[in-house]
Amino acid sequence: MQHKGLENGRWGEMSFAEQMANIGSEVERAISWKNKGNPDYSKRALDRALELLDLTVESVEYNRKKELLRTREALVDYFLFNNTYCSSDELWHGYFHPFGIYARLGA
Amino acid sequence: MKLIDKEITIGELKEMAKRMFGDLVKADVDVEREVVVIDMDLHADGEAFLIENGSKQKDLWGINLYPEIEGDDFIEFDSMINIKPAQGNRSRGVEDEGIRKKIIEIVNKLIKR
Repeated sequence: MQHKGLENGRWGEMSFAEQMANIGSEVERAISWKNKGNPDYSKRALDRALELLDLTVESVEYNRKKELLRTREALVDYFLFNNTYCSSDELWHGYFHPFGIYARLGA
Repeated sequence: MKLIDKEITIGELKEMAKRMFGDLVKADVDVEREVVVIDMDLHADGEAFLIENGSKQKDLWGINLYPEIEGDDFIEFDSMINIKPAQGNRSRGVEDEGIRKKIIEIVNKLIKR
């Protein structure tokens, strides 16, 4: 696990918006490294994003789990498989960036 | 989160956007009951609410509303809840033109500039 410091409950102290914003940051890094032609760094950022997403999935109620698990599926599909769900860099930015705005409002 | 079955103004949408995501308000539309639920963190939150209140998942579609934008870009068809392979919708968009038109019609009826 890359985020060893978060296992002990610190992740759960963050708001949902903060968690999603942090996950989004790792996704943006994965995209950035992919576009710079560094698949190794991109994969590491994706791994971190999935690690954090899994921590969030564990803590939310059922209906949110459903969306977050679909998000996880679509992320893996985009970065590692055939992009069956027609994602794009711009769509991922559009999905996660608003949580950064929301988190900065203190949500 | 708010259920819209009568009119809401663009001004109210702008206030919701400011309080949360800055420039957008998330919305779920029931194309059968012609109601909209808005102002939630995840489209899945609205989906769960509508299903608890009598909607069927097959009738629900997630969109984003940009109250500062006029024209076609006011409505963005992009949501994780739209990925429904069983209905032939394999992306986050709304691939059926008829359903997109219905969503636009419902939104324009309920949201007044």
